Amino acid sequence: MAKKNDGHANRKRKIDAFDIVVFVTLTILFLVLVIPFWSIIVTSLSTNEAYIKQPFSLWPKELTWANYISVFARGSGLLIAYKNTIIVSIIGTILGMVVMTMAAYALSRKFVGKRVVFMYFICAMFFSGGTIPTYLNIKNLNLNNTFTGVIMLTLCSVSHVIIIMKGFEGIPKELEESALIDGATQIQTFFKVMIPLNKPVIATYSLFTFVDLWNGWYWPTLILTDSDKNLLQVYLRSILGANNILKAETGSVGAGQTFAIGVQMASVFAVVLPIMLIYPFIQKYFVKGIMVGSVKM
Amino acid sequence: MRKTKKKQEEVPVLAPKVESSIWTKLWQARYIYLLLLPMILWLLFFHYIPTSGIILAFKKYKIGSLWSGEWIGLKNFERLFATPQAIESIKITVILSVQRIIFEFVPPIVLAILLSEMRGNRLKKIYQTVFTFPHFISWVIIAGMINNLFAVNGPIDSVIQSLGGESISFLSDTGIFRTLIFVTANWKGMGWSSILYLATIAGIDPTLYEAAEMDGAGRLRRIWHITLSGMKPIIALQLIMKISTLLSGGFDQIFNMRNPVVSSSVQILDAYIYDITFLALPDYGFSTAVGLFKSVIGFILLMIANKLSGIISGEQMYSFEKRVNTKKVLKKRGGNA
Repeated sequence: MAKKNDGHANRKRKIDAFDIVVFVTLTILFLVLVIPFWSIIVTSLSTNEAYIKQPFSLWPKELTWANYISVFARGSGLLIAYKNTIIVSIIGTILGMVVMTMAAYALSRKFVGKRVVFMYFICAMFFSGGTIPTYLNIKNLNLNNTFTGVIMLTLCSVSHVIIIMKGFEGIPKELEESALIDGATQIQTFFKVMIPLNKPVIATYSLFTFVDLWNGWYWPTLILTDSDKNLLQVYLRSILGANNILKAETGSVGAGQTFAIGVQMASVFAVVLPIMLIYPFIQKYFVKGIMVGSVKM
Repeated sequence: MRKTKKKQEEVPVLAPKVESSIWTKLWQARYIYLLLLPMILWLLFFHYIPTSGIILAFKKYKIGSLWSGEWIGLKNFERLFATPQAIESIKITVILSVQRIIFEFVPPIVLAILLSEMRGNRLKKIYQTVFTFPHFISWVIIAGMINNLFAVNGPIDSVIQSLGGESISFLSDTGIFRTLIFVTANWKGMGWSSILYLATIAGIDPTLYEAAEMDGAGRLRRIWHITLSGMKPIIALQLIMKISTLLSGGFDQIFNMRNPVVSSSVQILDAYIYDITFLALPDYGFSTAVGLFKSVIGFILLMIANKLSGIISGEQMYSFEKRVNTKKVLKKRGGNA
């Protein structure tokens, strides 16, 4: 196996025109990615009057915290949705990861009937009922308008299980055997050896599950009907009012309350922030976590 | 697939290897079954039972139950092919998916190559972190941002106007809107998709670059002959797997970004299913039939893609099939010897 190629561009040599082209292209791209986020922050910190006068500015005009204060006012829609989403996302992630890691570890062992179980898992990847049967099933189980329903629908994913399983299979068996010989029980070995060694994969897929739950809008929109059970994305959809710009254009007024642009953007930033905070810590595991499941080079 | 000669490395056997009856074996593996149980139950209740609900597609739906209602055979499917909107949405979906492949497949590859050619590891890390981040933002939020940024008299429009240009209504022009779909899809996903390519480039032997440099190859030639040729198998594989997305077209994005003026021009199949199910007078039987049609075609396309990629790389996407086949081959060999 060849030694790892970490940046063949980094060998000592003079900076040439090509380096400059690469740097400039990537920096432009960087700005294209960052400016929209920056614009959210700027808009959320500006007064509405300042925004209407000059919609694009790189620095908040007439700096104000009023938008954030109104967004996080006691009993506000966003605060309720925030609380609900944190509960759903955390419980869902923990529950989902426990169920998936257990199944993945079991599937990485040898046992009687493994092929049947594996087929049972794999088939789920190929066939699914689609929206209506799933929706009616949730109704039949009396889970509509409950957080349990939302959590259950996003709980597990067979493709995640298979990748976590591959992570377990990649651990050299000597490590597990030597732990067992040293007198550790199976359960101790599982928690002290297998889980830590599979950490990149488990961390990566915990983040994915968390983000799926945090960003979920489709099923929450269909299942949750009480407004005090709003989740963040559903709430955001309602206040961002996907079409309010066109309503303004065509002159027709949309139903329901309209929200000032500053309030909208403050809400958006409040929803993005938690992911921004968690993401850098897990990002370092990504490449490893993703490559485990993909084609072996 | 046929090339695999040696058996895959087996997972350690914790149970002692003694010939024993099936019951002893089952008893020995009891904890394994216990670990599997929650996921098996979850799949049963939240996947297989709803999946069996596709029989609705062959029934006239009666409110309240999945299982009642009279059988009407293939009537719902006949109706599907007799409904102009359905046919139109299938057409739109296929065209949009092909356009997506054209406009969204190459950028991640270019990005990966540029990142691998970039000097300075710290800056490279920061850039990569930023490029990957939008993948974790929901389309609800991105659509909200887009609708704000590109609104008439919004930030971008106002900049254009102050530069002396004319006001453009980006969101209500079907042509511009479609371009926006591809641009935003790249904005969100290219950094994420480039991870796989970057990892592939990291696996290329660096001595190849040194040797090429000694031979006097310039950087573009090195990129072409070493980087790209090293990425060729994975590029081919990724492209083939795109076949299976032909009938999807990206519901999350379309559904959140569309507005009444342009929605009919991007009415993909999933959006059509949503609309006939939740907006008009619902006929769950018909909706299910349209959904079933979509997933059956999707399944066939996935199988085709899987076979093709198997031919190209000699490796199936799901190694399980491979393992089964290897076992068969080994058994056969054992039998012959």
